[in-house]
Amino acid sequence: MDMQKLMESLHPFERKVLPLLNRLNVLKELAEAAGLQEVEAMRALQWLQNKGIVKMAEEAAKFAVLDENGIIYSKLGLPEKRFLLAIGGKASISEIEKKTRLSKEELAICLGTLKSKAAISIEKGKELLISITPPGKNLLSKGFTEENFIKNKFPIAIESLNGEQKLALGNLIKRKKIVRVEERKTTKADLTELGKRLIKLEINGNLIEKLTSSMLKEGSWKGKKFRRYDVKVNVPSVFAGRKQHYRAFLDEVRVKFLSLGFKEMFGPVVEADFWNMDALFMPQFHSARDIHQGYYIKEPKHSKDLPKDKVENVKNAHENGFGTGSRGWQYKFDVERTKRHILRTHDTSISARTLASKNLKIPGKYFQMARCFRYDIIDATHLPDFNQVGGFVIEEGINFQHLKGLLKMFAEEFAETETIRIKPSYFPFTEPSAELQAKHPEMGWIELAGSGIFRPELVKPLVGKDVPVIAWGVGLDRLAMFKLGINDIRQLFSHDLEFLRNAKIII
Amino acid sequence: MPTIIFSLNDLENLVGKKLGLEKVQECAHLCKGDVDSYDRDSGELKIDFGDTNLPYLWSAEGFARFIKNYLGIVKGIPPIKVEKGQYEILADKSVAGVRPFIAGFVAKGRVIDDYLLKQLIQLQEKLADNYGRKRQKASIGLYSYKKIKFPIHYKAAEPESVAFVPLESDKKLNLLQIIAQHPKGKEYGPILRNCGKYPVLIDENNEVLSFPPIINSNFTGKIEMGDNSLFLEVTGTEEEHISIIVNIFAYALFERGFAIYPVNVRYSNKITAFPKLARETIGLDKNSVKSLFGLDLKQNELKTLLEKAQYSLKNSRIEIPPYRADIMHFRDVAEDIGIIYGYDKIDGKPLSTFTIGETSGMVKFIDKVREILVGLGYQEAMSPILSNKNLLYNKMNIQDTGTIEIEEFMSETYSAVRSWILPNLMDILSKNKHVSFPQKLFEEGLVNARKGSDIFEYNRIAIISSHETANYTEARQALDRIFASFGLKREIEEVEHGSFISGRAGRAIVNGRKVAYLGEISPQVLSNFGLEMPVCGFELNLSEMFEEIKKK
Repeated sequence: MDMQKLMESLHPFERKVLPLLNRLNVLKELAEAAGLQEVEAMRALQWLQNKGIVKMAEEAAKFAVLDENGIIYSKLGLPEKRFLLAIGGKASISEIEKKTRLSKEELAICLGTLKSKAAISIEKGKELLISITPPGKNLLSKGFTEENFIKNKFPIAIESLNGEQKLALGNLIKRKKIVRVEERKTTKADLTELGKRLIKLEINGNLIEKLTSSMLKEGSWKGKKFRRYDVKVNVPSVFAGRKQHYRAFLDEVRVKFLSLGFKEMFGPVVEADFWNMDALFMPQFHSARDIHQGYYIKEPKHSKDLPKDKVENVKNAHENGFGTGSRGWQYKFDVERTKRHILRTHDTSISARTLASKNLKIPGKYFQMARCFRYDIIDATHLPDFNQVGGFVIEEGINFQHLKGLLKMFAEEFAETETIRIKPSYFPFTEPSAELQAKHPEMGWIELAGSGIFRPELVKPLVGKDVPVIAWGVGLDRLAMFKLGINDIRQLFSHDLEFLRNAKIII
Repeated sequence: MPTIIFSLNDLENLVGKKLGLEKVQECAHLCKGDVDSYDRDSGELKIDFGDTNLPYLWSAEGFARFIKNYLGIVKGIPPIKVEKGQYEILADKSVAGVRPFIAGFVAKGRVIDDYLLKQLIQLQEKLADNYGRKRQKASIGLYSYKKIKFPIHYKAAEPESVAFVPLESDKKLNLLQIIAQHPKGKEYGPILRNCGKYPVLIDENNEVLSFPPIINSNFTGKIEMGDNSLFLEVTGTEEEHISIIVNIFAYALFERGFAIYPVNVRYSNKITAFPKLARETIGLDKNSVKSLFGLDLKQNELKTLLEKAQYSLKNSRIEIPPYRADIMHFRDVAEDIGIIYGYDKIDGKPLSTFTIGETSGMVKFIDKVREILVGLGYQEAMSPILSNKNLLYNKMNIQDTGTIEIEEFMSETYSAVRSWILPNLMDILSKNKHVSFPQKLFEEGLVNARKGSDIFEYNRIAIISSHETANYTEARQALDRIFASFGLKREIEEVEHGSFISGRAGRAIVNGRKVAYLGEISPQVLSNFGLEMPVCGFELNLSEMFEEIKKK
């Protein structure tokens, strides 16, 4: 790199540290001399190292550090000195205790230390009486080397200690929490060859760090240079406002159906058994209801707004076929039961409502996207609630061939394939029923849709006449998981914020 | 859906032909089923049958019967022969209010080995569980014929007046003790909960056969390997229903090489002979086949297809095999015609009528609001609608004002429909304390509220922002931005709300309608969620807001 460009790329911190590197190489000293915080100087050195201007190294060395008692003694003086001072000429131990406020333990240690130095003499009576000896007086006037030592500025490199200081350290280490020796790392930075050449250049202090509005107003930027950035450096992450991954997928599905000419239908989560089961010709006794074990609600138990005429038609269809040519289920239909509130177990309840609606258009193509609920254990393959996408096509003259055409279109639109299998299947409300399997280019064979032609016993009571109705439901969750690159279906509703922020966007 | 296990070898023997796994899979598909697994070493085959209305398929014999017709080995309704016999069940009047109907037959002449015994028990269990609604509508008993003396008496008895040693027991127990102590009594006892007397089957020697629908006797009611004749009975609530089960078993045992002997059930007012093999008929509707599949089939083609589907055609009337009760409408026969013809041979046709795709204004409105929040840097979330009252109210420090609760829930965590969305977002924050701040989230979705006996469903949207300086202003700015974007005027008034700090909670009102709460979440609520960072947010009723927008 051009030396001039290199100089212009230096951050203000780097510019402060660089000239000092002539004479200093220890981080702490550099920070002090540059008037920077230690972290700032550290960052400056790292940037300089990234640019090849310095080479940093860590050196481990032993340091003496003051411990908690050491910090106190460095202010108040060592206990034995305070002890000696408190004696005056002669004093009882309790008098000394009062004056010095030393603990019993400290007093005992002082007695021991001073006795061994022959600085005191002790008389035993009712209480210990202590008098100072000539060597003791001598000690007081000469001063304690240990005390001088702890009055230094810590930490101190052991290497830098003289003989007397080393002796004092040796004595103090043996005592309780006065000093300890630690191994500390020192950061050093030395100029590289490049650095040595660079430092000979004049450091231009007149670079623009940040362009401001006043510079623009005054035109003061003219003729000046901007400090150069390292554009390759990593920067902290920011997170975008984002649509939820699965909901975004469902948004795309809606757009797809709208573009294929389907009209969206809606219905409530709390549904009457009537729309959820009975209107779909699922008998009130039948095991077909086993596969729809659902959540009945506590209150209100019953729906108040079922259409009387449709209920009567459906009752007749169950009991005797309602003139469709069917014998019906042949049992006594319970009109009270049909009002019972349940959380809808499938989206087909919405199709039933639409078929019975005044606004139904024939011919018409309809779809719904609905949150549904089933009594199930929650695990990697079952959620407490799940989304279903389904609908129907109603038109005079359509038949199974159109159903196949429709399924083929779904395979092309959703699974990007023309390779399909149509299997006979069973749903309580369609006859015939068929399942669509599609060979996805990467996933292989997937079950993509269930479908069929609604039974006449379902259509006539709701619509008023028997019109062919192709019904279908697409299973898109596996496709969504594949596209989103997830294995656990619970991640469709993930509450992990990192996952949400970083979820793949499907195009 | 019932899963049936048998050996491929056995299936091939019943069909009389080598099939191979591929052919079996093809046939399983035609039966709305699927091969679940095949063990090459043992030859064991597991098939799931998808249609709960076709119980005659739930055995090796039933599936083999389908294949034989499909391959043309048998044409039309398969044959069965019933011998002459004088066996009788005397049904006492007392069973009328308890378990009114019984049917059965005797089968003789084939040694029962371990495999066959397992097959019989499998069919018995699948029929009683699925078709018999866990024995409620029908239960089935199998007995060693040689230990029984006909006629058999079917009656309802005082619970403590009859005692016998039931299967899986070594003690003589009376009926009440069986209900209370025997595992099957505990499991199926509730079927009889409203009965004063309990049904029993007793033979001419006064030996108890069984206590239907609970358990058989350990002496007469147990078939052992090496037996070569058996008695089968079905009790239940509807005669048609139990007759189907008898017929399914009669066909299966006949096809296993047994000779079938009829049983007459003598009620006080009538006698019914089983198996009842009279064939019901339904008219052939050629136009319906054409309008349903777009297929223009000739009479003889239809005849062949019907015969492959186990129907017989006589003078334009279709005869239905006596083991089927699912034919309600010609549509049901037509489906079988289509299946045997082959769905893959039917052409696909595109829908040609032009229709316009359309969604509701509400959906569009919701999407616009979501876009604004995304633009403000909020991350969208999605939660289950099912929630619980602890999260909705206790943790949010407010009272329940009307909730849709589930009567019998699987898990307490999902025991109520959410009435607001903010608790979901608080819950998300509590799960992401280690993730970098600011944390800004929103969620849109359905909520339900109950007022008296009325249910209200709304679309609502909630936001939260959590970081060191999250405050009222921030929530207010976002809310104001939404109102301003739709040119809607709103007033803000101060409100007391347990979830928010008193004096820092507001309510947005449009034309007198309260549509949103906003403010700083109270530290009590934050601590309920274990949060250590300030949070502000709002919850806005989009359904009501949209109504006000439409009025403009």
